[in-house]
Amino acid sequence: MRSSRAVLGTTILGLLLLVIAIGWFALRSDGGSADPLAAARTTFPGLQPATGDPSLPGLAALEPRPGTVVQAAGPFDDRFHFDQLGFDGRTVKGRAVVTSDVSDILELEVLAGFYDRRGTLIGTARDTYHHDESTIDANHEGVPSHAHRFSIRVPRELQGRAVAAAVGVPVLVNE
Amino acid sequence: MRTFTKLAAVALASAAVLTTTTVVSADAADSQGRGRVKNVIYLLGDGMGRSHVTAARDRYYGAAGSLQMERLPVVGQVRTYAVQKKSGQPGQPDFEPQYVTDSASSATAWASGVKTYNAALGVDAKGAVVPTLMELAKKAGYRTGNVSTAEITDATPASQMSHALARGCQGPTYSAGSCQDTDITGTPLPTSDVRVTPIADQIARNGTSDVILGGGLSRFDAADEEALVAQGYDVLGSPADQTVATRTDLQSTRSRKVFGLFNKGNLTIEKFKRENPNAVQVAEPTLPEMTRKAISLLNRRGGKGFYLQVEGALIDKRSHANDAAQVLEEMKAFDDAVAAAVSFAKRDKNTLVIVTADHECAGFGIIEKGTFSNAEAQTPPANADSGNPANSSTPTRAANKKDAARSTGPVNGSGSSDPENFAPATFRTVDDPASVEDGTLEAGLWLTYLSGNHTGQDVPLYAYGPKSKSMADTIENTKLFDVVGGALRLTSGQ
Repeated sequence: MRSSRAVLGTTILGLLLLVIAIGWFALRSDGGSADPLAAARTTFPGLQPATGDPSLPGLAALEPRPGTVVQAAGPFDDRFHFDQLGFDGRTVKGRAVVTSDVSDILELEVLAGFYDRRGTLIGTARDTYHHDESTIDANHEGVPSHAHRFSIRVPRELQGRAVAAAVGVPVLVNE
Repeated sequence: MRTFTKLAAVALASAAVLTTTTVVSADAADSQGRGRVKNVIYLLGDGMGRSHVTAARDRYYGAAGSLQMERLPVVGQVRTYAVQKKSGQPGQPDFEPQYVTDSASSATAWASGVKTYNAALGVDAKGAVVPTLMELAKKAGYRTGNVSTAEITDATPASQMSHALARGCQGPTYSAGSCQDTDITGTPLPTSDVRVTPIADQIARNGTSDVILGGGLSRFDAADEEALVAQGYDVLGSPADQTVATRTDLQSTRSRKVFGLFNKGNLTIEKFKRENPNAVQVAEPTLPEMTRKAISLLNRRGGKGFYLQVEGALIDKRSHANDAAQVLEEMKAFDDAVAAAVSFAKRDKNTLVIVTADHECAGFGIIEKGTFSNAEAQTPPANADSGNPANSSTPTRAANKKDAARSTGPVNGSGSSDPENFAPATFRTVDDPASVEDGTLEAGLWLTYLSGNHTGQDVPLYAYGPKSKSMADTIENTKLFDVVGGALRLTSGQ
């Protein structure tokens, strides 16, 4: 009886030490993955890939009067304002002035919608600004600019039919 | 029975000895090197150069005082250079350095351990996806947190939880102009490729960070909110209806996974909130508040540990704008966040705290009271002084004077309304008599800027806790990946 208890006790002691040793080892060596790249999340089930450049849902609902330019709502309207807007039937021009705490404009897209006499949206075109940090810009010095001037031509197939325009900003990134 | 009792006693004693050894080992972990790391808190002052630290010290603690970060026992400095597109890594034949980094390249260096081109996030200079420390930590069972005063899709926070060819691909929607980079890929990538997937879409779906606190609600939409909720996040505020979260929302959550964005864009600067105590932006939590809360949410009893990144982003953004008054207050807020992290680390004893920067911004300078900078000089300074008397020749540099038209008084004082004014901004320090005010010639701290952009200076590093000693050196920013990865046993480094 005494012998079997000794064996049992020794076994318990051994198991206890083994558990402690395994735990200690695990604590010391955990984490290092055999394939670190596997940690990177590169797929997103359920996310529909984009099918093109961004639009502004509000464009279709606008009915600007002939000869006018109006602003279409976008996700960043609290970060900029337009000024010097004008439309001569061929080109819509203006300036997007960033009013948030800008440090540098990295990306800015101005989307223009063009409308016929009935106020129906008949097409779009866009101005895209991309700040390429890998190229040297001789004018890029001092405090960064807060304003981006744009000029967007009416697409050839819409010329003569477009009598009004709307502009909005679907893409804006500051550093 | 007696033998059994003895053996059981021996077993318990052995276990106790081992346990005691472990505890003693942890307790013995000094503030610099020994001991086991359970948690890492990595604090990053975006754009914070050596002069930013000194200026904030003078302003808030005086010449003989120290910021909280300066009181940490380990001090080093970090090389920040980036590389050109398609460059190899240092030491490889096709290595091409880019001496001045941006925030994305620098963040990828410490987050993924590779030098990359400016604008790249979570990809190397040839466009290949590289895993981030936060992804590795998450996979290994650590809890993870990401806190910033910038939009959470901005370069520094995004570097840990996204992979993008171009940092401008932030969302809410894809655009070819901001997401593709055919200099790297040759032809446009399919829009299903992670490298051109808007960063907001990635963050909302990859679950890389358990606690996400910052700004940038405009980058996220209803589909993102749905994806976050499906993963178990407590979403404070609402991306779907663009309701920003508040300090009260943050204080009340106890969830294991929290997504809280407190502004549609970057968070509001501290100076504005201080001067406008009734403004709606006062409901935004401060950086130290977010840091304390993130720590409390991540630090779970019995858990494996956590990895938390905290960014004081507005130091850089206000440095770009050459606004020293705002920069100083952002430095103070960042330093208070450091204090919160160190306070936890001192109690915990198994936490490594690293405080550093990604790059210097704007050539911040401290000039002697009463002097003037080259920007105010009548004559542009000569770059070569062939007539230096040390060379036994005649000095060619004429005595210089201030240009009265370009130096019309401190830019935060009498010269504040003059757009042509290049005079320094002046600030009182705690060493000044109580009667001295900011923006006066009597103020002791005179601050200037070289430019509105990043510079190539090395940046300071301060650290506390186990495994910190190896950073008491001049190190590459990529070594920070090895240090943290080694400390958390995620990589073979260190």
